[in-house]
Amino acid sequence: MTTKLLMGNEAFAHAALEAGVRVVAGYPGTPSSELVETVAKLHAEGAAQGVHVEWSTNEKAALELAAGASHAGARVLFTCKQVGLNVASDALMSLNYVGTNGGTVLFVADDPGPISSQTEQDTRRFASFAKVPVLDPATPDQGFAMMQVAFDLSERYHTPVIVRPTTRVCHASTFFDVADTTEARPVPEEGFQKDPKWVIFPRRAYQGHGEINERLVKIADDFSTDPAFEQFNPVFTGGMTREMPQIGIMAGGVSAAYVREALAIVEDAASAAGVLIPAYRFMQVGTPYPFPEKAAAVFARGLRSVVVVEELDSVLEDEMLKLAAKIALDSAKTLGEDIAPALLEVLGRYTGHMPDRGENTIDDIALRLAKLLLSERYAQAADDDSRNAIEAVFATLEEAASGTRFAELNASLPVRPPVLCPGCPHRGSFYAIKRALGKQPAVMCGDIGCYTLGNAQPLDAVDTCLCMGAGITMAQGLAVAEPHKKQVAFVGDSTFFASGLTGIANAVYNGHDITVAVLDNATTAMTGSQPHPGTGVTLMGEKRKPIDIEGVLRALGVECIERANPLDLRECEAAAKRAIEFEGPSALLLVSPCIQLVKPSPAVTVDTETCTGCKKCITEIGCPAIGFDPAARGPRSKERGQVFVDASQCNGCNLCTQVCPFGSLIEGGCRD
Amino acid sequence: MINVMLTGVGGQGTVLAAKVLAQAALSKGWQVRTAETIGMAQRGGSVISHVRMGNEGEEVHAPLLAKASAQLIIAFEPSEAARVLPYLAPGGVLVTARTTIQPVTAALAKEPYVADAVISRIEALLEGTGSRLVVVDDEKLIAQVGNRKALNTVLLGSALAAGCLPLSVEEMKDALSACVKPRFVEMNLAALDAALA
Repeated sequence: MTTKLLMGNEAFAHAALEAGVRVVAGYPGTPSSELVETVAKLHAEGAAQGVHVEWSTNEKAALELAAGASHAGARVLFTCKQVGLNVASDALMSLNYVGTNGGTVLFVADDPGPISSQTEQDTRRFASFAKVPVLDPATPDQGFAMMQVAFDLSERYHTPVIVRPTTRVCHASTFFDVADTTEARPVPEEGFQKDPKWVIFPRRAYQGHGEINERLVKIADDFSTDPAFEQFNPVFTGGMTREMPQIGIMAGGVSAAYVREALAIVEDAASAAGVLIPAYRFMQVGTPYPFPEKAAAVFARGLRSVVVVEELDSVLEDEMLKLAAKIALDSAKTLGEDIAPALLEVLGRYTGHMPDRGENTIDDIALRLAKLLLSERYAQAADDDSRNAIEAVFATLEEAASGTRFAELNASLPVRPPVLCPGCPHRGSFYAIKRALGKQPAVMCGDIGCYTLGNAQPLDAVDTCLCMGAGITMAQGLAVAEPHKKQVAFVGDSTFFASGLTGIANAVYNGHDITVAVLDNATTAMTGSQPHPGTGVTLMGEKRKPIDIEGVLRALGVECIERANPLDLRECEAAAKRAIEFEGPSALLLVSPCIQLVKPSPAVTVDTETCTGCKKCITEIGCPAIGFDPAARGPRSKERGQVFVDASQCNGCNLCTQVCPFGSLIEGGCRD
Repeated sequence: MINVMLTGVGGQGTVLAAKVLAQAALSKGWQVRTAETIGMAQRGGSVISHVRMGNEGEEVHAPLLAKASAQLIIAFEPSEAARVLPYLAPGGVLVTARTTIQPVTAALAKEPYVADAVISRIEALLEGTGSRLVVVDDEKLIAQVGNRKALNTVLLGSALAAGCLPLSVEEMKDALSACVKPRFVEMNLAALDAALA
């Protein structure tokens, strides 16, 4: 055992390996990617023995591969981000019906905010839709424990199990004691046993649906009573008075950790103002589906109200509303008509007590909880002094949460949205295609990857973005609806393999007049440079013949394929023109490696003698390495100021030197 | 409990600096939680690392800091320092580099973004709050080290020199050596010395 500082995702990889996982497959996506990378790293170091790890072509491929290995009895782990589960959902829905053999865990990372995602969808909801149990950690430590028991749960009931952390759990680090080496559990000798149950047919589905429903009842019970799972639904009582609590706080995921911090802040503020916080009862629900109703009913006993704190969807709030209705009905039945039934008020997003979207924060939760906990005391306050004291608590918390004192300064600061890196070849691709299109009416369909950042000013070259691979197919719909416009679809090399091929086949077969620009930077850049089928390496360290994108395009029947270096503006623009003018589906292959993969060239310099301060380099391509100094003076810029190149950022791609109309930007290291 | 926030622009090295602090805390037997910005924002956007160290056996639940709870903020860039001011605890210390990173939006904007203007507005807001501002002449220190990649160590050293970190120089050196790649250890130790000189 060694104590290591590990990020949540790294720790979950160790946990799965310690649980004997044999096959790990996924597709990269923030905030999930580091798990597979950690397994690959430990495998490469020889610490993780007997494991097969791969980045599959997409999520659907990964989950189906995992399902096959599980059928044979291997413990398997599938990883993706929340929207990746959409891609794999076809496999998941049926897999739950046929059931699993070797422990099958799906690690699906959600992204409240969202910080790096297209949607704020909630995998807890997806789990209940797919009828698959889900575990929801509040901290990396809890996630570590969940990952290990998830395999046992899966094998106990032959069900896939989802572990669903959110960004702040995936990317939080803490210290873990982890095994120095791990050994994958061998696949049982009998291996895959042929049986009609593995073949999904309507009859099998009917039978499987019954099996699912039966096991979900048992699992809900386990979540309430089995110590292995019940530990994830802890309950405690807090507050500064000793009466029986009447207010309950229920939280899920990282919000459970926020609530605990927020309660400490509320109690500090109350102590400072001489106010007593009434007793409350807290429960974290770490096993949201199937909902641990028995444990929740015990928690709710004697409470008058429960406030639910969660992110993304109102999953726990819905469950508590159901439970409140049951409690009321049960008590009405027992007590008879003359006595008022037990009523449990459920407060949360539906009642406006919690925000309906985005990330929760400690400060905001503290303010909201203080108001809920102290509202009755405030209403019943005997005198002005008591009321003022409570108001002081609210004021302290409000000041911290809103930060009004800093609002004016904040509004004056330059905004800093994410941008394409200095030297990024995508900048050249977008710029050249825009130049090639000129004033022709056109729609530029973007896709998912670093190149979505082509939407930023001044490039402004992404008109649509929907989901992985959609640029190619949306362009076809636009071409049908608006045949007078040019349609250019952008796709990265990894996305091309993940979900671009079907769209290209569709364009060829159905004859759509679009141009597909494949931005091939030889990696999966946005998520941290993962290999894909075009790169020639695998996570197992083997060399493979890269699948040639041009060959694939040709095989799919694309007749016009142009190829250019996106950092050579003239060449790229000419190639783009030819592809765009071609009638029918055409492809523009723009090949230049991601700057993360290659050494930078010497930085560009500014010739202060000739720079006129026209800013064309800034307003045309918007490279972060080029700034403007209004105080700079030169013979041709006069009082206008001049541009400067930040040598610590410039990558030496020399795109700007091809844009400057006065030759004032000089290629690095050469001055005539 | 010691709460530290590190902030900067994607690519400046805040993540490594947070790791160094966590490593130092581990060797002292403290509980630590850190949180990073990973993903799209790393492409030149604002990035923040949160470091929470339970130095007296306190339990740390959340990875993120609450507002007004950072005893120390280390900013790699002045406008990023200004952005996270609401997190500075009363009496806390803000250590910031002076050199700006001009976003494309500033180059496109009419009003230029000038470091001194932002820094003096921060000073004005901190006046009378008991909080302290330390502006680091990072350009001079980086010139001594000869590599801008050492900015994170220069700033950690400046925070240490300002007495804001409960760590000894030796502890910091050990943590640095444990966290950076072997071939960069020497450069980072030189950067630490430059900041402490």
